[in-house]
Amino acid sequence: MIAQFLTWLQHSLGKGPAADAQSWSEALLGSLNFWNLLEGSHLIGLMLFAGTILVVDLRLLGVTFRGTRVSVVSDRILPLTVFGFIFVIVTGLGLTFAKPLFYYHNIFFRVKMILIAIALVNILVFHSRIQATQDSWDAAAKPPGKARLAAAASLTIWFLVITCGRLIAYDFFECGKPHSDFINWAQECKTSEKGEVTLAGKRL
Amino acid sequence: MSMNLEQFFPHARPWVENLANTFPGKYVKPQFAWWEIGHILSLITLGGTTILMNLRLLGAGITDEPPSEIYRNLRFWQNVGVIGIVVTGILIGSANAERLYDSAAFIVKMLALLAGIVLTYGASRPVAKADGAVGLLPKIWFAIGSAIFLLGLWIFAISDLVNVGVYHIITAAALLVLFVARGRLRWVYLGVMLVLIAAQFVATHIVYRGDDYAHLNPVNKAFTVIFSVWILGCAVAQIVRAGRTAEGGALPRIIAYATILVWVMGAAAGRWIAFA
Repeated sequence: MIAQFLTWLQHSLGKGPAADAQSWSEALLGSLNFWNLLEGSHLIGLMLFAGTILVVDLRLLGVTFRGTRVSVVSDRILPLTVFGFIFVIVTGLGLTFAKPLFYYHNIFFRVKMILIAIALVNILVFHSRIQATQDSWDAAAKPPGKARLAAAASLTIWFLVITCGRLIAYDFFECGKPHSDFINWAQECKTSEKGEVTLAGKRL
Repeated sequence: MSMNLEQFFPHARPWVENLANTFPGKYVKPQFAWWEIGHILSLITLGGTTILMNLRLLGAGITDEPPSEIYRNLRFWQNVGVIGIVVTGILIGSANAERLYDSAAFIVKMLALLAGIVLTYGASRPVAKADGAVGLLPKIWFAIGSAIFLLGLWIFAISDLVNVGVYHIITAAALLVLFVARGRLRWVYLGVMLVLIAAQFVATHIVYRGDDYAHLNPVNKAFTVIFSVWILGCAVAQIVRAGRTAEGGALPRIIAYATILVWVMGAAAGRWIAFA
């Protein structure tokens, strides 16, 4: 069902009646410069988004800005972080739209999406539970264990998200190459354009 | 027109070609992806700390603390970022030397790195440490760093196939001015920017066909100049309107703009090495 939708997205959406017509997705991928601009913007957006998250998390860990209230650091920096997040999401969606099937059958992309979901849950937990008591530790040089744990989790998750993001470009686990049953299953190679190949070399 | 290292050092090709087969290149190559991730993480660390330190000089960001306090808290992490990009950059460069040797974007990246280090350590950090006071030495370093920055920007802009990457710097500058500008200036600035973006879209999608490069090229170049002039003009207006504050006058703000944008140029050029 999802694979069918993505196939339509990649090959049919926006395609005109002409024989050599391209879908919008194909046009984006084949564009002279736009795809490159999107990818470069995604990286530069990361400098703002992840770079500012790093500083907020370091404050929560009690590593930096120890003499500044946590609320001051987060209130001043988080608008930049949120803007950076929106920027990387928009550019990321554009990149995904250009090659939806490639990303759908890429294990690093799948892990990245799961990690982003976990990171968002971590943010929700932080805002709903840990931040509820912030008044009592707002000025503390070293915030309580729960806050530090959430910050450490945030740093770890975003580190892994960025790692997976970069690894998407590498063909270590590309469908159509011999892989273990788990890898073939995890990225649904059987429904991919390149198919599934087992470690024994059997094409399914 | 395009520039690459081969034009300056044509006899170095055999040595460059062999770099990937010698230490450290041949040891880096099998783990190239991991060193590349280290490079990106360092860039992010450098980006976050540089943006916050220089936004403070622009009167934005963590304004509850003086610039010297921002500097004191971020300098270590900024050092981590700079050392990280240099070390990982040398390693991935040694495993990928031939590509860099032929790349115009690599020259831009190296000039951005040099200008970034000069502007960060020679101007931005000393000015932040002194809460906006600009001594003679930071002025000299700023002049040197800016000259290298502008040389890199010029090479970026005139180099075939990679010159579109200049739009990353224009976009970053546009967003920076939007974030820092206040009051009516911000809204006028944003309104005109949106009109210009719409006008460029109409000119490059409706007036001329998408494959009519003979017309699209000059149109896009004209819009690049118009965007740049508008952003630069509004940045100057923002600097003048902000006047003289506790964090100093115009020069600290100009230093802050330049220091943020030079690292954006480095990141953009680095990405365009892979594209052309």
